[in-house]
Amino acid sequence: MLRPKPRLTALAAALLFLSALFAAPRPAAAGLSAREIMEHVDARDDGDNVTLQTEMVLIDKNGHQRERQIRAFMKDKGRDTWRIQFFVSPADVKDTGFLTYDYYSGEKDDDQWLYLPELHKTKRIASADKSSAFMGSDFSYADMNRRVLDEWTYKLLKEDEVDGHRVWLIETVPVNKTVEERYGYTKSVVFVRQDIFFPVRAVHWVKEGDRIKYMEVKKLEQIDGIWVATETQMRTTKNRQTQHSTILRWHDIRFNQEIDDELFTVRRLEKGL
Amino acid sequence: MLFPGKKLTAFLALLLVLVPFGAQAQNSELDDILSGFEEPAVSPAPENSGLDEVLSGFEEETAQGTATTPDASRLPDWLELSGGIGFSTSWTMGSSTPPAAAPNLDHHGLSRLRWSADLTADIALPAGWQARIGTKGFHDPVFALRGREDYPAQVLRRSESELELTESYLQGTLSPRLDIKSGRQIVVWGKSDNIRLTDVLNPLDNREPGMVDIRDLRLPVAMTKLDSYLGAWNLSGIVVHEPRFHKTPGFGSDFFAGTSPAPPEEIPATSWENQEYGLALNGHFQGWDLSLYGARIFDDMGHVAVTASGPRLVHNRITMLGAAANLALGNWLLKSEAAWFDGLEYSLPADSDRRLDLLLGAEYMGFPETVLSLEVANRHTFSFDPALEAAPVYGVEDDLQTVLRLSRDFRHDTVQLTLLLSIFGADGDGGSFERLTVRYELSDSLTATGGIILYQDGDRPLFRHSDQRDRLFAELRYSF
Repeated sequence: MLRPKPRLTALAAALLFLSALFAAPRPAAAGLSAREIMEHVDARDDGDNVTLQTEMVLIDKNGHQRERQIRAFMKDKGRDTWRIQFFVSPADVKDTGFLTYDYYSGEKDDDQWLYLPELHKTKRIASADKSSAFMGSDFSYADMNRRVLDEWTYKLLKEDEVDGHRVWLIETVPVNKTVEERYGYTKSVVFVRQDIFFPVRAVHWVKEGDRIKYMEVKKLEQIDGIWVATETQMRTTKNRQTQHSTILRWHDIRFNQEIDDELFTVRRLEKGL
Repeated sequence: MLFPGKKLTAFLALLLVLVPFGAQAQNSELDDILSGFEEPAVSPAPENSGLDEVLSGFEEETAQGTATTPDASRLPDWLELSGGIGFSTSWTMGSSTPPAAAPNLDHHGLSRLRWSADLTADIALPAGWQARIGTKGFHDPVFALRGREDYPAQVLRRSESELELTESYLQGTLSPRLDIKSGRQIVVWGKSDNIRLTDVLNPLDNREPGMVDIRDLRLPVAMTKLDSYLGAWNLSGIVVHEPRFHKTPGFGSDFFAGTSPAPPEEIPATSWENQEYGLALNGHFQGWDLSLYGARIFDDMGHVAVTASGPRLVHNRITMLGAAANLALGNWLLKSEAAWFDGLEYSLPADSDRRLDLLLGAEYMGFPETVLSLEVANRHTFSFDPALEAAPVYGVEDDLQTVLRLSRDFRHDTVQLTLLLSIFGADGDGGSFERLTVRYELSDSLTATGGIILYQDGDRPLFRHSDQRDRLFAELRYSF
């Protein structure tokens, strides 16, 4: 459709907060504050120069499934991240490309360009709002990007256990209405594994629609010494009834690849893979 | 009157209802319907007292979805095929007066039963070079069904069947900073999505204005494009080898504006002398983009001139100098375009060969799953000769066009709704049309599209006697 898919944001790096990705195991740290725990989560090495393939399965409440395949590349530029993604399937979005310069600072809007093969045109996308759905999935743009640490307040609720691993449950609340609007959540509770500082679950209270979203890491693997959530589910519920869910799977993840800056340009976006 | 016509007023009312609708997000009535949210409204999000209940929600379901890997194609790695098969139909609600040459012609009722297909082969070549060969075609048995003898030959020739080469080119990199692409291709200039000012290189399929799918709107032409890159800048030099012009409705079509057939079209031969030229400088920067354009081309519209062979529709050379820029501000994208045309000629004798087109536009993406855009353009003819107001030019000194578009996704991008309103003239006196389209994704490869398009009469050539063209339309398309 002509409509620019404004929400095609960066899948790959997305994982940063979602899975808060990569880090070597650490001993459980006793006596840390909620903020300190989240600083550890945020400080993970996110494995620069990454290439991967993404499979996204969208499942409606009747179990009907749709599938998206994406090739993604990302590169860190200081705290900023450059990403380029190409849709491989389904056929009607094939060759659509999305280029993002994701600026860590919440003060600066990301630069985003979308190449639409049907239009034969590269279109700039202006969207400071991160709360919309990413490609129709249950993940929002906010879910797919690293959160700015200082834009949230943190409170340690309790400790618990998930799949045999000790976790902290940390409540995060936007520091102001602007941040709340941008992310679309009134608050979240994040389950952080104590041994590796990895968020394996999260519950998000959605600002609009009386919905609650459940994020859960279904598969966690160590690749090149880096912890990666290779399968993650996001489920949207209302009145405790699942409305829709999305499964993200990452394949062929490679770190520290030789990726030239030239890949992250409109030139490449228009030429395709 | 600001917006004449009940249809237009009703359409605007619908638009006004839907815009705030976007702001209400998922809890509004229409959204509920389209999203299939059948649950009654619930109380606000639980407080901390209910936290344990909320957190226990992980136990309810396990991950679904089959673990899949990309399909193993039977094709060799260097070859990729894509395409689709479609069936589209339309129903014309009005009934226009038939031309004298085809007195039995009645456009009312079934006006399309079109089968279409397209196939594209992408070939990976050594050293990163790529080739594409594309073709598409259609056949519409509606003419046979309704009686071919009632239709003028020009309508049948232009609308019954077609088979043509689409994008077919070779592209590659000559040096680290130099790309080349040669063959039939589409090159889009400008920042506007709805109004063409600087986008002059490819002609359009105007056989059924407002009805043509965006996939098929621009016609590819044979050209060679050299792109050089330096930092944020790109300089693009283009030579168009193939003189190709708009596809227009045939005499007898309800979209044909005149009362008698247009004279034969004189298409310049493909020769060295008839090459067209274009130059573009594009820059992409933090928060904004800029493009400058220059082109020496044939006028796609053409004009009627008396030649040694008699009256002919000829295409003279024109020059276009243009610029386009956009600026991203939060959820807003501001757009502007300017195009200066020199060398314009008309079907009436007049000394008004220069025109300045200006466009301002804004796009807002702050409503959930919604894009709202407004574009306004004015085409000002310098030294306007009042003689141009007569038939068949029906010219105006300042030709204002306003386009409003609303696109919104529902049900996790399964349903897409688009409302488009295009008005000519400051008060709509030039004519207008409105289109409502709903696209439903039945599966990953099957989509159904339906909608309605309404036309209002106006004094621009395209809209004269246009209010009988209103159509309902639908399409089913399988893509692979």
